[in-house]
Amino acid sequence: MRRRFIRDAALTAVALAAPGWLAAQATPAVPAAAAPAVGDTAPDFVLPGATAAGAAGPIRLSDFRGKTVVLAFFFKARTKG
Amino acid sequence: MDAYRDQYAQLFHGGKDVVLLAVSTDSVGALASWARDAKYPFRFASDSGGVVGRRYGAFNEKYQLDNRTLFVIGPDGRIAWRAAPFREVDPTAYTELAAAIDQAAK
Repeated sequence: MRRRFIRDAALTAVALAAPGWLAAQATPAVPAAAAPAVGDTAPDFVLPGATAAGAAGPIRLSDFRGKTVVLAFFFKARTKG
Repeated sequence: MDAYRDQYAQLFHGGKDVVLLAVSTDSVGALASWARDAKYPFRFASDSGGVVGRRYGAFNEKYQLDNRTLFVIGPDGRIAWRAAPFREVDPTAYTELAAAIDQAAK
């Protein structure tokens, strides 16, 4: 009887903690930042690249120093705009 | 994206001194197959998870996508111009973008 109580209590604790744990997992690792302003150094990054020829290896923004870069964020592939 | 392709020569100087980098949360595979089908002559980057989008204030938490936001970054690595959001259906948006690119790439 006592053992079952302990087991049930443990299960209840897990059930109660789970939503909080899931919410914590969903929280973005990088908080939303304000857009960098004109005159600011553009934050550097490395992302996997792609071209019409296929996967293009990592793209590092600072590799394009000396050229003008147009960074165009967009919603989704195969949508307009 | 078709507008960028169709104006690639004029707007982006045919890629000579200007690098157009289109960024979304799509996978590399989705971006590459789209670029191949639509014959896009420029680069894409896969920002799955929106880490870079967040750093540039472009990430939409509700839809978990990058909002249409444009930055022109000069040869010195500094932001020369930005449009948040970029009004892609408004022809004057392209005029402004062209002017910003020409100014930065001068």
